[in-house]
Amino acid sequence: MRDFPPVIDTFYSAAGRTPGPAPDTRTPAAFLRWFLRFQWPVIALSTVVGVLWQLPLTVGPLLFGKAIDHGIVAHSASGTLFWAGLLFIVTVVGATFGIVLHTLVVRTWLIGLYGTMKLVTRKVVQMGHVLPRRTPTGEVLSVASSDSDEFGALTEITSRAASQLVAYLIVAFIVLTTSPELGVLMLLAAPVLVGAAMPLLKPLHRRQQVERGRNSELTSMATDIVAGLRILRGIGGERTFGRNYDQQSQLARRAGVSAGIWQAAIEAVGVLFSGVFIVLLVWLGTRQVIDGDLTIGQLISFLGYALFMIYPIQTFFELAQKVTRAMVSARKAIAIFEHQPPWPDLETSTPLPDEADLYDALSGFTAHEGELTIVVSAVPEDTAALADRLGRYLPADTEPVSYELGEGLKGRAARRARAERLAERARLAALDEELANREWGVRLGDVDLGAASLDDVRRHILVSDTGSQLFAGTLQDAIDPHGRLTLEQAEHALRVANAEDVYEALPGGWQGVLDERGRGLSGGQRQRVVLARALAVDAPVLVLVEPTSAVDAHTEARIAERVADVRRGRTTVVTTVSPLWLHHADRVVLLENGTVTVEGTHDDLLRTSAAYRGVVARSMDAPVEEVSSHEHSRL
Amino acid sequence: MSTLASDPLATSAETWRDHSSREPVVPAELVPPRGVSRRERVTALRRRHLLRERRALDTYAASRSPERGWPVADNRVVLTFFRGLLAERRSEVFWLVALNALAAGAALVVPRLLGNLVNRTVHGGARADQISALNELALLIVGVVCAQALLTFLAQRISTIFGQDLLSSAREYIVRTVLRLPLGRVEGASTGDLVTRVTRDVGTMSRSVQFGLPQAIISGLTVGLSVVAMLLNSVVLAVPCLLLIGASGFQVRRYLQRAPKGYITEGSTYSRINTTLTETVEGARTVEALALSDLRVGAGDDDIEVSAQAERYTMTLRNLLFCVIDICFNSPRVVTLLVGAWGYSKGWVSLGQITAALLYVESLSGPLDRLVGEMDRLQVGVASTSRLLGIAQVPEDRVAGTERPDGPHLVGEDLHFAYREGHDVLHGVSLDLEVGERLAIVGPSGSGKSTLGRLLSGINGPRTGSVKVGGVDLVALPLEQLRTEVALVTQEHHVFVGTVRDNIVLAREDSPDEAVWDALSAVGSRDWVERLPHALDTMIGSGQQSLTPAQAQQVALARLIIADPHTLVLDEATSLIDPRTARTLEGSMNALLDGRTVVAIAHRLHTAHDADRIAVVIDGEVLELGSHHDLVAQDGEYAALWRAWTS
Repeated sequence: MRDFPPVIDTFYSAAGRTPGPAPDTRTPAAFLRWFLRFQWPVIALSTVVGVLWQLPLTVGPLLFGKAIDHGIVAHSASGTLFWAGLLFIVTVVGATFGIVLHTLVVRTWLIGLYGTMKLVTRKVVQMGHVLPRRTPTGEVLSVASSDSDEFGALTEITSRAASQLVAYLIVAFIVLTTSPELGVLMLLAAPVLVGAAMPLLKPLHRRQQVERGRNSELTSMATDIVAGLRILRGIGGERTFGRNYDQQSQLARRAGVSAGIWQAAIEAVGVLFSGVFIVLLVWLGTRQVIDGDLTIGQLISFLGYALFMIYPIQTFFELAQKVTRAMVSARKAIAIFEHQPPWPDLETSTPLPDEADLYDALSGFTAHEGELTIVVSAVPEDTAALADRLGRYLPADTEPVSYELGEGLKGRAARRARAERLAERARLAALDEELANREWGVRLGDVDLGAASLDDVRRHILVSDTGSQLFAGTLQDAIDPHGRLTLEQAEHALRVANAEDVYEALPGGWQGVLDERGRGLSGGQRQRVVLARALAVDAPVLVLVEPTSAVDAHTEARIAERVADVRRGRTTVVTTVSPLWLHHADRVVLLENGTVTVEGTHDDLLRTSAAYRGVVARSMDAPVEEVSSHEHSRL
Repeated sequence: MSTLASDPLATSAETWRDHSSREPVVPAELVPPRGVSRRERVTALRRRHLLRERRALDTYAASRSPERGWPVADNRVVLTFFRGLLAERRSEVFWLVALNALAAGAALVVPRLLGNLVNRTVHGGARADQISALNELALLIVGVVCAQALLTFLAQRISTIFGQDLLSSAREYIVRTVLRLPLGRVEGASTGDLVTRVTRDVGTMSRSVQFGLPQAIISGLTVGLSVVAMLLNSVVLAVPCLLLIGASGFQVRRYLQRAPKGYITEGSTYSRINTTLTETVEGARTVEALALSDLRVGAGDDDIEVSAQAERYTMTLRNLLFCVIDICFNSPRVVTLLVGAWGYSKGWVSLGQITAALLYVESLSGPLDRLVGEMDRLQVGVASTSRLLGIAQVPEDRVAGTERPDGPHLVGEDLHFAYREGHDVLHGVSLDLEVGERLAIVGPSGSGKSTLGRLLSGINGPRTGSVKVGGVDLVALPLEQLRTEVALVTQEHHVFVGTVRDNIVLAREDSPDEAVWDALSAVGSRDWVERLPHALDTMIGSGQQSLTPAQAQQVALARLIIADPHTLVLDEATSLIDPRTARTLEGSMNALLDGRTVVAIAHRLHTAHDADRIAVVIDGEVLELGSHHDLVAQDGEYAALWRAWTS
């Protein structure tokens, strides 16, 4: 039987393991069924154990009543001892299985919780850069962090409801055989009691929704304040935003109070109805005792059952609520899990050559084998788009489709909005599919990247874009995530990227710990560590997008020189407009409106192309003529 | 280029670890043994439990005295804080206790009345008498039940009002504290820890303040009054039961001492899981590019493995607790029966008393369970609150004096500064800024030029030496004044959730609309703001009307125009200018810089070229100072760099 954390091989499986079955994402209900089926043995077992755990409640009152009738009232010590003994055994059995049940409940819950988290991680790595194109990051994360808990809760409530159902039936049998009249009253009254609170639930839920909305607004305001704290403390505005927060906090308080009053009303109604129910039961029961139809012990056991009956009914309502919530979560989970990688399933992929020119048909750009080519453009988006094409990344020009609908949408409007989102998601998926399956338009040698397997492309061409991210861990892991480098290689990469100061700044050197996303480092340090990591991979083709945009001129000059040196003889593409890089280039290419207009060496182009001068001199700001004349005068 | 005196990678070989020497996240001792006898399994379970306990204690200890990040207050501070909040609400507390006590009291009357009913029925008599007595008693019980319902409503209502009031005061206090954090610390520290505190910790605190505290009071009252009611019903029946319930006290105490630490550990493992997953999602492309899939999946699974261990620890703790309380809270039923039978045979107790005792015992376990649960929750809440109150313990970094500057002349003299004691980043830098000049600071990374910028803008005070404006130390100025003298321009163009006006008037919060419009005109944003649905009153920021990056940057520039400092320090490596929007913003930027003294920490050499003077900072000292032409003529560091730039 499964234990937590579960082993998951769905969506992504390590080499040598068979892929697990994919969840059923056709409908939310189908997804939840799949989810429960996934761990039905644990759920079934906890149902059985749950019945045993409740024995003190289901047969306890009966035994107590018997003890009164056959022991106390009958003045029989042996009778008392016998029934009390049974009651004690039942209590111990209940306590023992309580522990087993608790263990099993924790297990089902955590299998659901951890299982969902693992599914999300695997889906994310399966989809790679395609997922953020389609779905907002926050929604992917919330499936793992909050919806996973709903699924855990669903497994728990399923087994609890099942065991309560059995307990309810046992009690029904006992009370009906003891006194049909009182039995029927009890069985009918319990649902009526819980149902009586139903009309109050609706206004309560509405108010709770308002409260939740305002609270989450409040949380985002607090996050907003912290995110902009440097501005608030540096430039000012504490009063304004402090006041805004206080106002929202008071709104949230009022919403909470108004929801709380309905909650209080529901509790009071519960007290009232169950009190009246017990009085009714006692009244009827006592009449029967007076008439001799019922013993006093039986009456007392009925009192015990009257207390018990509320639980199963409450559980059934809880089941209904949790299923509803799990359905909402399932819909959100499906919005993540249903995505499929758009890449074609190549039966016969063509292997890429190790050394060859890289050619992009759309822009007419060629990176010659073994050369350092620098792409210059006045529009950074153009060079970024070129780099994406060279690495076979889908263009970053789509707007992810959010699952969340606006607050005010309800009923038909909400359904319509949801249908629109669905259509938009499908459109994006189809677009990706289309892009991924046609000829890619970039060739390494004679092979179109679309004809090669994606793994092969990634092995041959490494694109380090401006969004490249560091991960939490040691500096050693950051430079050498795969554990393939020797110490000398790692040191070398660090020196080429001029990131020695990061090593020095971290206590513990290579074992020094970087925070998530390299948060503790400055922008320049982060950029240099990213560069060192990319260089250490030693890919046949390396594409660096704006690799030194956050680095000062001194350091940039050093890096440009060292990178040009270390990549000598290997195909390297750098996009930048910095002259410190440009004069190391074997070839400089000017990109205008997305196509290559001129190419040559930096000096040639400075001399011959006014457009090139326009772009590059902008970065130097000083008119080039003046600079050169100044230089000449010095000579 | 300057040569480095010592190799920064000198210790490299010592700190490099062999790839095979990696330790598993969960030590082998925590994996249950297979194929061994039952006894060994039990001893192994005990060993694992103790080991998990140690891990939990370590995590808890680490969370109480973080190496980095913001401080954590101790529990005494938390208690004082809550005592203060309660003291402000004496009458509410009184009503909370009084109404809940009455509601609980009413609930306790019913079993007694039912017991009386049983007694009368057993005693027998004429049927008609019995029936009329029954009717009377039934009506009385209905009356009590109605009163109980009404009291429950009032008690719950006051609990809600009280809890919500307490909560809103607490969270508003926390945010006020955050908004008072010293400028130097805010600029230096990362905000991640702070975000966790104002979201997760406020959430945990909320739950315990809003529900935990009132619930604990209510359950405590109910338990206390139940005990009284049981004793009033029958001392003989009550005492053995109470002793039995009391016997669980030892285990409950043990549990309460350990569990909160276990839950805090658990909570930290979940935020770890979340952080790792966030990284994986946000870095999805990096993961793909570098083939890190296996590693990221592995990292996620490791986090879950660690979390599962924390869960197992609290699960065992709860099981140990349930073992005892399930027996102690449930067996009084049997005891009532046995003692009752004995007492009944001796004539000491009536059947009615036995019935009432049973009902009391049955209804006591609920509040007892809740009381234990709430104590748990409260302790976790206290831990979160101590992290929140820790924010208030950050010492002030400046004391505002009364002197006011005489003119805009900014002078830094003999500046030394260290982030870590004994490691000076600046070694006696002096700079005299001419009013209205543009000074560019250039130098390699780590040379201290950004630090110099922070000192010149008054964000940090120097260790020795002084930065004075108009003869007054920058750090002796109140922040409101400082902001209108010097401003550090960073890349942060955070747009706050609020109106356009709120987003711009930051430095002078009472600015009239004309001033706002003037500022917007100056940075060239008047047009698009006018086109917004509610002009200055349009809500912007995350989740509201969205702005383009260029518009966001213009808003940030307009803030500075409103602040109107005479001196700007521009850290270019982190400056506002995003290359993508550079062109459209040039005009806005010039409008801001116009007529002010500007210190530009230059990253691109063209900035240096355009400046009136250039300071070359290397290893915490100003090596060269002069105009572009002077420095090129000097043929030093700057000239070398310039040649590389333009060749």
